[in-house]
Amino acid sequence: MTTVEQLVQAVQDGKAPQAAELAGRAVEEGADAGAVVDSLGAAMRAVGDRFGTGEIFLPELMLAARAMQKAMEVLQPALLASASVAAKLGVIVVGTVKGDVHEIGKDIAITMLRASGFEVYDLGRDVNALDFVRRAEELGADIIGASALMTTTMPAQKELVDTLVAKGLRDKYHVILGGAPVTAEWVAEAGADSWGEDAAKSAKLLEQAMADKRAGAGR
Amino acid sequence: MSHLKMWDIMARSEEGPYCEDDEFLYDLFLPKMAEVVSKYDIKFDPAKPVPDDDDLADRIWQAAVEFFLAVGVHNVDTHRRIVITEAELNEALFLAPEVHQVGAGHETRWWMPRKVEDKRGPFCIFSPDITYDEDILLQASMAYVQEPLADGVCGPILEESIGRNITSGTPSEMAGVMEHAMLLRNAVKLVGRPGLFLVAVGTAQSDTGQVAVSNNEWGVRSTDGRLIGVLTEMKTDNELLNKVAHCKQFGCAIGCLTGAIYGGYAGGAEGTAVLEVAHHLVGLTVYQHNFNNSFPFHMQHTSNSGREMLWLVSLVQQALSRNSRILSTSNGFFNAGPGTEMIFREASAHAIASVVSGGDLWTAAPRHNKYRNYATPLEARLACETGHAVARQGMTRAVACGIVDTLLKKYEGQIAEAPEGKPFQECYEVMRVRPQGWYLDMYKAAKEELSQLGVEFPY
Repeated sequence: MTTVEQLVQAVQDGKAPQAAELAGRAVEEGADAGAVVDSLGAAMRAVGDRFGTGEIFLPELMLAARAMQKAMEVLQPALLASASVAAKLGVIVVGTVKGDVHEIGKDIAITMLRASGFEVYDLGRDVNALDFVRRAEELGADIIGASALMTTTMPAQKELVDTLVAKGLRDKYHVILGGAPVTAEWVAEAGADSWGEDAAKSAKLLEQAMADKRAGAGR
Repeated sequence: MSHLKMWDIMARSEEGPYCEDDEFLYDLFLPKMAEVVSKYDIKFDPAKPVPDDDDLADRIWQAAVEFFLAVGVHNVDTHRRIVITEAELNEALFLAPEVHQVGAGHETRWWMPRKVEDKRGPFCIFSPDITYDEDILLQASMAYVQEPLADGVCGPILEESIGRNITSGTPSEMAGVMEHAMLLRNAVKLVGRPGLFLVAVGTAQSDTGQVAVSNNEWGVRSTDGRLIGVLTEMKTDNELLNKVAHCKQFGCAIGCLTGAIYGGYAGGAEGTAVLEVAHHLVGLTVYQHNFNNSFPFHMQHTSNSGREMLWLVSLVQQALSRNSRILSTSNGFFNAGPGTEMIFREASAHAIASVVSGGDLWTAAPRHNKYRNYATPLEARLACETGHAVARQGMTRAVACGIVDTLLKKYEGQIAEAPEGKPFQECYEVMRVRPQGWYLDMYKAAKEELSQLGVEFPY
């Protein structure tokens, strides 16, 4: 087994210290950092698929994501030094809306989105609509994700969209809404762009949205 | 009542061991859960949706106690862990009441813990667990309140007040929660059960909303109950603890609301069972509850009527019944909507698994507990009638297992694509507050099917 293959295995097994060590060894051995990241990305997508089908559970997914993160921290300098910096899929800010303190759905979505190659900023819970927008502006985000777990906090998702409209920024961002009580009908009523029915579907849907955006921009 | 007081919890919430989110999850929760599931040799058996293995139930209890004492409860606002000692837990378990009084007047109930395979019927709380349109909320509430087996009702939730969306933490929530409480109070009066135990009001998400409805004249009374949730997983925050402090002072019953997620941080059925029992210990000690609402659910399906879910629902209740006097209402979350054969099968399977295992009932949330108006009292009626029947006939877990297995085989293939069914307005004559004839016929057919399987209904 090559070092990179061992690294992929360590990430899939959720062994963070081993992943960091093997990433360092791969760099020392002269592996192409971009190619290593591609391999890890494919491995994480496989882990995500297994989570989506219920073959594995959240602890395995999160431990794999953490191992991936540790490996990436080691690979980052080599990645920046090389010409093979992989393009990010997009930048997303994600949070649970104002008045809502439930986080697990958001956290799963973040894990899956990072595994898919998005740069994700976690805004936490109980996030004011204007703070979503401010952070998206500061971070140059492409997408805003807003989660709500209560019917009485869902209106704050619409408030986010309304705030974007009020500030003349609605067309700048793809807005995705998620959370247990959220339906496709509510997404339409709130004026958002897509429904994060579950984490795996959200990642695929947003990959497509970003591809469409790039195609629309002539890239 | 233990020596552990609310102010002890407040102090630990501010002075307990400092712990950030990642440390709590990765360094405490995940490794300790994996350790106890392995140490106590807890294994899911799909052939036994209602297990009759006492030792397994006791091992789940022991695993939950060890997990709870090691991990504690994380306050996400203060980043402190509220840690309970073994002596404090044992004291709280020893001093747990033999009986709790809820409701008032002719509707007073003496709520006592049940044993595994207990012949005493379950305490039944009828609850749709979802929102209804404002213009039918009174009739929908009356429909639940009038159910004769209802020892308590957790009424339909309001999503709009005076035609405007209710948003948590805003004046619309204050208006909405008061309207909700008043409508419920009217509903119990109109039905002639003014003292009925109400667990209310679900519309109030915020602490201020809960405080606003505490009123013995028009609102939630001190003889009623409230639900206070444990955050996913083994977490709380200051707003939730505010609710506890208020309810203790006001004097109403505290129901600790816990739904361990299958496929979430606890992993599969084994860890989820351990976690759900541990959640009850949070209720007993940190929230100093009177009862627990237990709704473990499947992450993908957001229901608890599947095979793995019934296994863990049954074992959670057995572990609690065999080792404590904690009152636990087993809350049914189902896949199908009202007006379908499947919802009756799911509701009755969940009721049987819960009741023979020592649990009480809180039922029924159809269609993934998600869609407005998609619940009726008729599903809950069948579940509670079934629960009372199997208790009365002294059904063993082994017999229950066979019946539940038969029911599961009729619906488990449809869980992912369950029929949506029909809303309350189509299943009931709304203004007359009674089921449509076709739906009553469907209910009677479901009851007949259960009779054929061995459930002996007294009427």
